[in-house]
Amino acid sequence: MKVLLFGTCLVDTFFPEVGEATVRLLRRFGATPVFPNGQTCCGQPAFNAGYEADARSAAAHFLSVFDGDDPIVTPSGSCAAMVKHHYPDLFRDDPRMLAAARRTGERIHELSHFLVHVAKAHEAGLRGKGTVTYHSSCHLTRSLGVREEPLTLLASLKGATFVPMPDATRCCGFGGTFMAKLPEISCALAEEKAAVIEATGADTVTGCDSGCLMNISDAMKRRGTRIRVAHLAQLLAEGL
Amino acid sequence: MSAADRERLFLENAAIASAGAHSVSGTGDLLAALGRVVAMDSPVYCPGMTELEKAAAPLFPVRAADYAAATVTVEEVFGAIAETGTIVCVSAGGRAVQAGLLPAHHVAIVRRERIFGTLDDLFAAVSAALPTNMTLVTGPSRTADIELTLAIGVHGPEKLDVIVV
Amino acid sequence: MSPAQTSLRFRENSVRAMGDDALRAAMKQATDTFGTKRADAFAPVTDLEALRDRASAIREDVLANLPMYVDRFVASATRAGATVHRAKDAAAAREIIAKILSDRGAKRIVKGKSMVSEEVDLNDHLEAAGMEVVETDLGEYIIQMEGEAPSHIIVPAIHKNRRQVGKLFAGRLGVPYSDDPQVLTKIARKTLREKFLSADAGISGANFAAADTGSLVLLTNEGNGRMVTTVPPLHVAILSIEKMLPSLADLPAFLRLLPRSATGQTITSYVSVITGARKPGDATGAKELHIVLLDNGRTEILAGESRDILKCIRCGACMNVCPVYRTVGGHSYGWTYPGPMGIVLTTLLTGMKMSHPLVDASTLCGACVEVCPVRVPLVSLILQLRRRKVREGFSDPKERRGMAWFGKAAASPFLFSLGQRLAAIFWPVARILGGKDVAGRMPAPAKTPLRRRLP
Repeated sequence: MKVLLFGTCLVDTFFPEVGEATVRLLRRFGATPVFPNGQTCCGQPAFNAGYEADARSAAAHFLSVFDGDDPIVTPSGSCAAMVKHHYPDLFRDDPRMLAAARRTGERIHELSHFLVHVAKAHEAGLRGKGTVTYHSSCHLTRSLGVREEPLTLLASLKGATFVPMPDATRCCGFGGTFMAKLPEISCALAEEKAAVIEATGADTVTGCDSGCLMNISDAMKRRGTRIRVAHLAQLLAEGL
Repeated sequence: MSAADRERLFLENAAIASAGAHSVSGTGDLLAALGRVVAMDSPVYCPGMTELEKAAAPLFPVRAADYAAATVTVEEVFGAIAETGTIVCVSAGGRAVQAGLLPAHHVAIVRRERIFGTLDDLFAAVSAALPTNMTLVTGPSRTADIELTLAIGVHGPEKLDVIVV
Repeated sequence: MSPAQTSLRFRENSVRAMGDDALRAAMKQATDTFGTKRADAFAPVTDLEALRDRASAIREDVLANLPMYVDRFVASATRAGATVHRAKDAAAAREIIAKILSDRGAKRIVKGKSMVSEEVDLNDHLEAAGMEVVETDLGEYIIQMEGEAPSHIIVPAIHKNRRQVGKLFAGRLGVPYSDDPQVLTKIARKTLREKFLSADAGISGANFAAADTGSLVLLTNEGNGRMVTTVPPLHVAILSIEKMLPSLADLPAFLRLLPRSATGQTITSYVSVITGARKPGDATGAKELHIVLLDNGRTEILAGESRDILKCIRCGACMNVCPVYRTVGGHSYGWTYPGPMGIVLTTLLTGMKMSHPLVDASTLCGACVEVCPVRVPLVSLILQLRRRKVREGFSDPKERRGMAWFGKAAASPFLFSLGQRLAAIFWPVARILGGKDVAGRMPAPAKTPLRRRLP
């Protein structure tokens, strides 16, 4: 099964290892991942900051690069939510683009959702190690409703111990442009999240959104904490 | 919901809301219950308007003519709501709703056939002819304004007893 | 006391608030407690989504027909013996109320909690006219004594701890110091009762107004709402026009949602339904009831794209779950209404020019949308206001330029790739050039981005 990989601008630029892990996972479970080279960004930063025209420019490009019938997989809850829920809104005045947005929205899968529902990766006996806790990103949880799939995947890792995070769904403070506009509040939220993570006693914290993980990682660094921060794709790929 | 279920639910919910919840049958039992919950050395205001109030009034040695001077008000109320454990006080027929507000202890007598099942039932029954003032009372007065610590007895009564007859 | 609006200084306000450890601890405790209480209260409610749908539909019907419901309310309330006044704006509301009071020589006023009275700055105006206005809701009483503004719409003194209140009472009321909330409450009971019984007039708000019966509905726990509205001979109620419900029969839907959403209670200790003033045959109650219906920009909001904010029933659930509110407290928002609903309502009522930093005071996490009992689409409303902020020219020029470049780069793989390479090269410079808030918190770009690692 051919699958189009949308890396996301953050992964592409800052965390390419997450993209490589995603490729290995997709291959392992029988998919043929293809990385359309024309891809850039889903447009979220502009959209969330109120710049509709600029967001539309990114979205139109995305729709043209990812045109077709193949499923699209992305290791980001917020990007999948952007395409699914906000693209139709961006093109509400353009019937042709609106139809394209709707069709593409139906084809895009956030990675953990794909791995559980399509690839059945939780039945594959993947290996894990150490004690892992999980941060449930806002758009993943509330926009996409993906709450159980990451937990199902983590629970399936033989050899790893899962410890739940209190207030796992509380925002880490990244918020895209929020991090840049109100850095003090963003840091305070990340601090609080980092403290909660430390209190779990886990040696690894994972999640499905690189923006959140990046923000949490920064807070950990400032606190001098030596907990590993890794995207779920990386943990799963390591267990192959 | 049967009448018995309504009464049971009402008493349960009233107790959850920190009201003293009592059930009696007949005037004799009512007077006995009043004897137990009312501090007999306190000035009691009892309007003496309804049959039950007239029966109860002589029980109290110290009577206050004005509710503002009373520590306890003993009165029959309009009805009750099982869903929430609420008693319903109305200003109809010259009744002073403040009588159940100012004194520290409010003892409310309610006839079991006046227990409504739900909030909807109450509003359906009264909307056609609303009194000037209708108050749904659930438990004693309270606040959590200071550090979210619950304090019972703010401006309204500190103690509420409901007796179903 | 109502200080001038400081929403333009949101960031500054929030930094100061975050430096106040006592405030942060109080905010954390309060929001955690309310969040838990709300969840516990709704846990046994099996038809919560149906309840929310119903309440949302009723509120939408009200907004779709607001002028009609307001007219209907005016007619029924008048029939019941109340005098109804329509106040176009804050100044009109202040003047109407001041005149009602001064015409009757009212000097001592007792007041129940009312957010709109804060919105229109009523207390200051009445005090300037020589009247004594005593806030009787315990939280409002405390902050009035301190000369502060409320920091939460349900528990206005949430930012104060028991020691602060103890010191305040000891200093102002001449009572022995105690920091026991039970003792402090009893002190307030005693001092305020004297005020209730000697007041010339009572001013209250209203949670709802039933258009069919002309009734005002007040949800309270302390009993002060009941005192204020029935003990003094004159009762003045002020409420904003969107508080209408079509019928008293609609009230149960909200009684099942509001107390649980606000404080986790199944129902408030008191629900007062006030229909007109004292009639022949009544033994007690205010002899005169004046109802002031405040517009103050709501008709305009109703006609615009952000009208759904007017569905809000002021339960406070959104602020209790908001990660930003929890961290910075209510005062940071700089006006009457804080938290998610405050961002939207403040910007709409006071204008983008006075409030625009507020629209950025959100991570768009969506926790508020999950808990709003009437399904106000808060995240969509905030996004809408951000778009307006950009359109109306209130966004940072550097940001505008940056976003324009972003738009171009996102549509051009060549530019995007070039941007990646430049970012990798210039990262250390970006970090130094005041990038500590952003670039300093991100890792350096990967030497080889994903697009060059994959075929």
